[in-house]
Amino acid sequence: MTTADWAGELSAGADPDLVERVLRLAAAPWVHPERLRGAVEANLDRPCVRVEDVIAGLEAAGDARSRPLPRRAQVREVALALLRHGARMAIVGQPGYPRRLADAWPELGAPLWLFLRAPEARLPAAAAVAVVGTRHPTVDGAQTAVALGRLLARHGVTVVSGMARGIDQAAHRGALQAGGATVAVLGTGFGVDYPAGDETVREAVAAAGGLVSELPPGCGPKPQHFIWRNRLISGLADVTVVVQGRVRSGALHTARLAAAQGREVMAVPGSVNDPASRAPLDLIRDGATPLTRLSDVLDIVGVVDAQRGGMQDGPATPGNTLTARLSADASDLLTLIGAVPAAPGALARAAQRPVTTILAAVAELETAGLVRATPRGPVLA
Amino acid sequence: MVGRVRTMAVVGLQAVAVTVEAHVAGGLPGFSVIGSWGPAAGQAADRVRTALATVGVAMPGRKVLISLAPADLPKAGARFDLAMAAAILLELGVVEQAALDGVALLGELALDGEVRPVPGVLPSAAALSATGVHRLAVADANAAEAALAGGPEVVPVRHLAELLAVLRKEQAPRPAPAGDNDVAAATVPAAGPDLADVRGQAEARRALEVAAAGGHHLLLLGPPGCGKSMLARRLPGILPPLTDDQALEVAGVRSVAGLLGDPVRLERRPPLCSPHHTMSAAALFGGGTGVARPGQLSLAHHGVLFLDELFEWPRGVIEALRQPLEDGVICVARSRATVTYPARVQLVCAANPCPCGGGDRCSCSDDAVWAYRSRLSGPLADRLDLAPAVEPLSAGDLLSAQAGESSAAVAARVASARAVARDRWGQAVTCNAVAPARLVRQSVRPAALRTLANAVEAGALTGRGYDRALRVARTCADLEGSQMVGTDHVLEAYAHRLGLRQQPTAAASAVGPAVAVAQW
Repeated sequence: MTTADWAGELSAGADPDLVERVLRLAAAPWVHPERLRGAVEANLDRPCVRVEDVIAGLEAAGDARSRPLPRRAQVREVALALLRHGARMAIVGQPGYPRRLADAWPELGAPLWLFLRAPEARLPAAAAVAVVGTRHPTVDGAQTAVALGRLLARHGVTVVSGMARGIDQAAHRGALQAGGATVAVLGTGFGVDYPAGDETVREAVAAAGGLVSELPPGCGPKPQHFIWRNRLISGLADVTVVVQGRVRSGALHTARLAAAQGREVMAVPGSVNDPASRAPLDLIRDGATPLTRLSDVLDIVGVVDAQRGGMQDGPATPGNTLTARLSADASDLLTLIGAVPAAPGALARAAQRPVTTILAAVAELETAGLVRATPRGPVLA
Repeated sequence: MVGRVRTMAVVGLQAVAVTVEAHVAGGLPGFSVIGSWGPAAGQAADRVRTALATVGVAMPGRKVLISLAPADLPKAGARFDLAMAAAILLELGVVEQAALDGVALLGELALDGEVRPVPGVLPSAAALSATGVHRLAVADANAAEAALAGGPEVVPVRHLAELLAVLRKEQAPRPAPAGDNDVAAATVPAAGPDLADVRGQAEARRALEVAAAGGHHLLLLGPPGCGKSMLARRLPGILPPLTDDQALEVAGVRSVAGLLGDPVRLERRPPLCSPHHTMSAAALFGGGTGVARPGQLSLAHHGVLFLDELFEWPRGVIEALRQPLEDGVICVARSRATVTYPARVQLVCAANPCPCGGGDRCSCSDDAVWAYRSRLSGPLADRLDLAPAVEPLSAGDLLSAQAGESSAAVAARVASARAVARDRWGQAVTCNAVAPARLVRQSVRPAALRTLANAVEAGALTGRGYDRALRVARTCADLEGSQMVGTDHVLEAYAHRLGLRQQPTAAASAVGPAVAVAQW
């Protein structure tokens, strides 16, 4: 496979030479988003920041280092690994680069390149809303995220989030349940099982919208990766909704980035007593739009709510033969169980049913393979 | 001529009749005790000789020989002092043989002649009726305990002089204090902790009720401070009170361990033992030099054994629990005897759900959680029945004025469920947890059996787990007053077992993705 071959496949329509040069940067561990920002800022005094200048700046920095940029053979290996994972590369200014992110280029944090796995190698063009929040939500928080995901997907809005356990996955699952589009920005490269064991959801998201990463394939999770990817989550969405988060939460960071990128920020108001609602309440105090009903978010993205009048999202209608055979109790409970374990006691409170009913329903769902038992309670399988 | 007096030795819980023979003759002055006894025999000799001197019986320049028969029975302690003194009095002609016919004596002597209490009086007194003894002389402090047995007439003696006076008919024996053996009076359990103190915890409360109604073993899973111990300590309060026989068995073990309380009363409330995880295996199962003393496991007989921090216990100790849990007895071998103590306990364990404790901000990975959970050995997990999640209390729960349901209300439901079970099984089966699986299956609806069989086929349940789940389902049905076990009961029983998983089930990973994709 010649360079032109793999470059053409990896980034159709782009100059193979440019593809190789950018991939060479992307494969170097030291070329991370902060360095990229440095390279962009070095050009800010010019009348316009040219992609060519940024690349040249980074290459010059690489030549000056003791461990320079990778050799051509190594770049080729990375390219082939990406293709093996079914991934493509999008370079800013070239075809396939998401429009919303391009709006954030250069100084608002948009990346020079992006790896993505998506149908047709393109992220959905429709309006997009980021739904973000804590990894440890309450039952109510997870439900809100699922309901938001479902509502947005039903109205053709893409749900963007970060694939983390908790609010992120709840939002993805909501969108998937409604058969809509959802995009996940990963904190690892492709080919890494993270969050471990959640491959099913990742594959479903890849097929229903897309997976996005700016890290080379096989790159493991590191704390800074998740901080860096936040600017992609906010940048890929028109609106960012923070469902739940504690003080110093990552969701708070995403919301601040969204505001800096000139996007709308919404927050789900929770109880002032609930530490899990600290971040959204702080955002509302600082001027974010409170989400007083789920459909508020549709107003902001300019989609008409087909179900206006019904205050809340209706129950799930997964519409397959499996759920049809479930008892009424089990079907009802299925709408309460999310990506986050909830103890039967908590589910009983949420559903206002006796705990014996809940236990029987959990067992029914578990034996049907629809939920998975964890030591902390059932989650969606 | 040889003076013969009867007394009782206790080996484990078993009381054995012992004959004390005394022979006083000329020869080299001395006082020897023979009959399978260690160096402590010499101490008994000194106590008896000194005590006898206080009632004016001195033995200057004579050879005293005491023999305890049967000689091959291991003996220990000071329980034979009183009988030895009586045998010498008989041998010396101070009292007549007729005065000691049908009389047994148990007690330790102080140097001033006072009679002191000894352990194991209750099993001794209970065994005496079969040996033709109709009077039992014991220390004042043992009189109430001896009376509990309801066997021989109890003669309390305060001092060797009093025994002498009674035996010489110079004084009428004092009446024994009435043992608090009145069933009606004791049925009301002594005030213990009440379930009304537990707020929320719907699942754990339900599991506790099912466990109490069926005698099932329980594992409470929850973060530190969420109230696992609080719940466990409330289990005896909702269990049915002990029957006469059970209460006597429990008191017998406590008597042998020297733990029978003062004042002595027959405790109707099932015992609760909560040994700490640093405890040695000997302390848990029974042990000690020569003849083993009962451990915490036997002290919890007919009651609750609460093992907090289950995963902190040494694996060997937990594994060793399996056999007594099945058999209801524990057999402990020591150098001088192998004894069997009863150990029919209801096991309640508590553990954190994950390595960090499992609080609100738990960030343990699933792998770490499962690794932690694998410390629960499969065979033990199979012997547990219910594993509810005990939730950390929210501020709302703490502030809510609504108290939980009281122990009395729950105990009433437990009692009626147990009555239903007793009517069905008869006397041989004490609770659903020990009901033969074959009999349990007879009262389960076919659809319910099929539901559970599917879970076994999918690998989500072992064969043993299947039978145990059926028994729990039987209890759920009993609590509802339902004759037959339905699908709902079986599903609830299955859900109660979900917390016992040690790994993500093979079934879920095999079936899960296909179903999940179908759902999307």
